[in-house]
Amino acid sequence: MLIKLTNGTIFDPVHRLDGEQRNIFMENGRIIRAPASTRKIDREYDISGHVVMAGGIDIHTHIGGGKVNIARILLPEDHQRDPVAPSPHRRGGSGHVVPSTFVTGHRYAEMGFTACFEPAMLPANARQAHMEMADIPIVDAGAYVLMGNDDFLLQLLSQGADQSLITDYVAWTIRATQALGVKVVNPGGISAFKFNQRRLDLDEQHAVYSITPRSILQSLCTAVHELGLPHPLHVHGCNLGIPGNDVTTLDTIAAVDGLRMHLTHVQFHAYGKEGDRKFSSGAARIAERINGSPNISLDVGQIMFGQTITASGDTMLQHREAKHAHPKKTVIMDIECDAGCGIVPFLYRDKNYVNALQWCIGLELYLLINDPWRIFLTTDHPNGAPFTSYPHLIRLLMDREFRLEMLAALHPAARAHSILSSLTREYSLYEIAIMTRAAPARSLGLHDRGHLGVGAAADVVVYRPRKNREEMFSRPRFVFKDGKLVVQDGRITDSPAGVVHRVTPEFDGSIERRLQRYFEKFHTVRLGNFRLGDDELLGYGRTALSTHPCRPG
Amino acid sequence: MTPLSLTLRRNPFARIDMSPLTPDRLAGLGRDAIARIMLACGRQRIRVSELFDIAGRDASLLRIRRATVQLFRVGFQMQSGSVEIAGNAGDNLGERIQGGEIRVRGDAGEWVGASMLGGNITVQGNVGDRAGAALPGQLIGMKGGLILVVGNAGDRVGERMRGGTIVTLGDTGSYLACRMRAGTIIAMGRTGPHIGIGMRRGTLVMGRKPAAMPTGFRSAGALKMEFLRLLFKQLGTVQTRLALFRSFGPEAIRMAGDLSVGGKGEILVLLNGSQGQTK
Repeated sequence: MLIKLTNGTIFDPVHRLDGEQRNIFMENGRIIRAPASTRKIDREYDISGHVVMAGGIDIHTHIGGGKVNIARILLPEDHQRDPVAPSPHRRGGSGHVVPSTFVTGHRYAEMGFTACFEPAMLPANARQAHMEMADIPIVDAGAYVLMGNDDFLLQLLSQGADQSLITDYVAWTIRATQALGVKVVNPGGISAFKFNQRRLDLDEQHAVYSITPRSILQSLCTAVHELGLPHPLHVHGCNLGIPGNDVTTLDTIAAVDGLRMHLTHVQFHAYGKEGDRKFSSGAARIAERINGSPNISLDVGQIMFGQTITASGDTMLQHREAKHAHPKKTVIMDIECDAGCGIVPFLYRDKNYVNALQWCIGLELYLLINDPWRIFLTTDHPNGAPFTSYPHLIRLLMDREFRLEMLAALHPAARAHSILSSLTREYSLYEIAIMTRAAPARSLGLHDRGHLGVGAAADVVVYRPRKNREEMFSRPRFVFKDGKLVVQDGRITDSPAGVVHRVTPEFDGSIERRLQRYFEKFHTVRLGNFRLGDDELLGYGRTALSTHPCRPG
Repeated sequence: MTPLSLTLRRNPFARIDMSPLTPDRLAGLGRDAIARIMLACGRQRIRVSELFDIAGRDASLLRIRRATVQLFRVGFQMQSGSVEIAGNAGDNLGERIQGGEIRVRGDAGEWVGASMLGGNITVQGNVGDRAGAALPGQLIGMKGGLILVVGNAGDRVGERMRGGTIVTLGDTGSYLACRMRAGTIIAMGRTGPHIGIGMRRGTLVMGRKPAAMPTGFRSAGALKMEFLRLLFKQLGTVQTRLALFRSFGPEAIRMAGDLSVGGKGEILVLLNGSQGQTK
C-alpha cells in the first residue's frame, strides 16, 4: 500500500530538516522516494501545518525481565486503580506505574514512541525478558545485558585474566542473551553486598575478589570498544543516591580514559553535600565536564512527583532506600548469583526538600548540557516516574514560564538551592526531535530508525501543533509503525508486533570450553539451554530480528 | 415508598460485578436509569434490565432476590442505606464498605468485608476464606464496622485486621486472626490450626478452648476481665442476634502473643463460653 503524507512540517535532524514542508511517501513499511506521478496513491493524509517526526525511541525504560513482574506483584493496588478495557484493536490490561505488557505497548504508541529498550536484562533472565518484551505490542524492543557483578567475570578479573578473554566473555554473553548492548550496574557492588559490604566506592576493594569498581568498569568499557558495539557501555555507576556522589560521577568519567561511555540516570548521580541539609545539586559541575567530554553520553532519569516504584538490580542501593518505601513494602533478592533485584515503591513529594531538589537537578542537567545529541529524554521508567509523564517533561523543557510556575510550588529551600530559575534555555522542536529520536537511534546504531530519510523504517508520528506541548506530545494525530497506521487521535487502530534489535559480535569460541566447566559446576541451567537461539526468539511472536553491525577496532 | 427490589432472572453465565448497584449510588435514579446501568459480566457488559426484574423505588433499601454466587462485589464501597440479599452472595461482599448495612440470608463467598471501614455485614449462612482480611496488596485489612457470621467461616478470618469487630458463631478455619494489628474477633465455634500467627495487637475471644496452645503465645492464667462484660453488653445493643452474649461471664484464660514478633495481642478463652452453644 502506497501512503502519502502531504505537506507536513518535517523535523528530521539526521537530514537537517528543521521544520521544512515536505511530502512523505511510505510503502511496504519503508519510506520511499516520491513515486512516478502515474502511480496511484492508495491513501493520502493531508497534514498541512502538522509537525512530523520519526517514531520516538526510549533508550532506557524497564519494561521486561524479572524485576518488572516482581514490581507488578508488589503493587496490585496500582493495577486495581488503573484498569484498561479491551477494544477490537487492543487487549485489556491494567497498571499505571508498572503497566501490564499490552498496556505498556499501547501507551508508548499513543505518545508516538515506536521503540523501547530494556536496560537491565540479567543473563539468567534473558529468556523471560525477551518473552515479556515480545508481548509488548507495536513498539520495537531490545535489551542491554547486565554484567559486572557475575562471579565468572569477577573471578577472571581477580585472577588478572587477559583482556581478550574478558572481551570474548562479553561477546559470548551478548550472543547468548540476544542483547543490543552491555550495561553495568554498581560495578562489583551488587556482588559485594552479598559479602556484607554496604558501600563500594569507585576505588574500594571488593571483600572477596581483589578488584575495584574502577577495574571492572575499565575492563568492560574496553571490551565494548574492542567489539565495536554501536552502543557504548551503559553505566549505572557507584554510590547512586548518596550525597556527594557527584565526585564519584566525575571520577567515573575520568576513569574510562576517553573511551565512549553512556552514563545512565545521571540525575541520581549528581548530588553534592553542601548546605545545612548536606544535600545539594552537583548538576552544574557534571554538566560542565560532560560538555567538555565528547566521549560521554547520558540520559537523565528525571523524577516526577507522585507515586511510583523503583526497580533496580542494585540491591546495595535498594537495601539502603528500603526505609523510605511508600507504601511500606520492599523486595530485595538475589537472582541466580548473576546480580540482584531490589524493588522499592516510592512517593516523590514536591514539598519534600530532597525530592524537590532531585526534580530541579534533573532539569538543570537537561538545560545545562548543550549537545542534545548526547543527552536523552528518560525518567528511568518507572524509577523516576512512569514513562507516561514524557509529554509533561517535554513541556517543562520547552516552556520556561510553565517551568517557573511548577518550580514555584516546590519546597522553598530546594528552590533556593537550585539555579533552575535563572536558566532561560527552552528546547526547540528540533532539539526534542534530536533527543527523543535521532540521537538515541544513532547511539544504539539503529541505522534505519530515528529519521525520515528514504529507506528508513516507516515509523512516523504526526502531531497537531499546540502551544501546550504536553497536550501536543501526549496525543499525536497519527502514528505509523512500519507503515501501518497504529494510532489515530489517541486511539489505537492496530496492534502489529515490533521487531527485536540486537548485535552479534564475533568472538573466539574457545571461551565456551571454560564456560562449560563453570556452568556444570555452578549454574542451575546447562550452557546449551542457557543460550537463546534466533528461532526461539522469533517464536515468541516478534516479526523479525534486526541485527546491527559491529565495527571492531 | 416500596423498597427497590432486583430479582435475578436466571443464573448468569459469568460473574457479575455488582459494584455500581449500592443504595447510595442508586439514590435519586428512576427505574429507567437503573435499568440502563451496565454491569460487567465476564468480558462483556450487560444492562441491569437484562439480568434483573426491577420493582419498587426506594433505593435506600435494596433487595436482591434469587441471588447466586455469581454476583460479586455487592455493596462495594457503600456508605449508607441497606442491602438485603435473598439467596447466596459471591466474593468480595461489602468490600471497602464505609457505612450502612448488608444482610445475606444464605452464604457468602471469600473476602467478606475485605478492607472494610465501617457499617454492618450479617451473613446467616457460611462465608469463605479471608473475612475482614486485607485485599491483595493492602497492608491492613478491615479497619472498622461489624461482620457477623452465623454459620461457619473459612481460613484467615481477620488477617491483618486493624479495627472493628468480627463475630463468628460457627466454626472457623486455620490462621484465625493471623497478623492482626488491632480490633476484636469473637470466634464461638471450633477453630483450626495456626491461631494468631504474627498477631501484634488486638483481641481474639474464643468460646471454646483451642485444640492446642497457639504457637508463640503464653498463658497468663484465668482472669476476671471487666472489659469482656462491657464488650458483650455493647454488642447486645448493636444487634439483637448478639444479645445472647450477655449471659457470658467475664472469666477467661488470657494468652498473650504472638511473642515471636514481640506482639502484644491477646487471646481470651471464655470459661463459660462452650455451655452457651449458640448454633
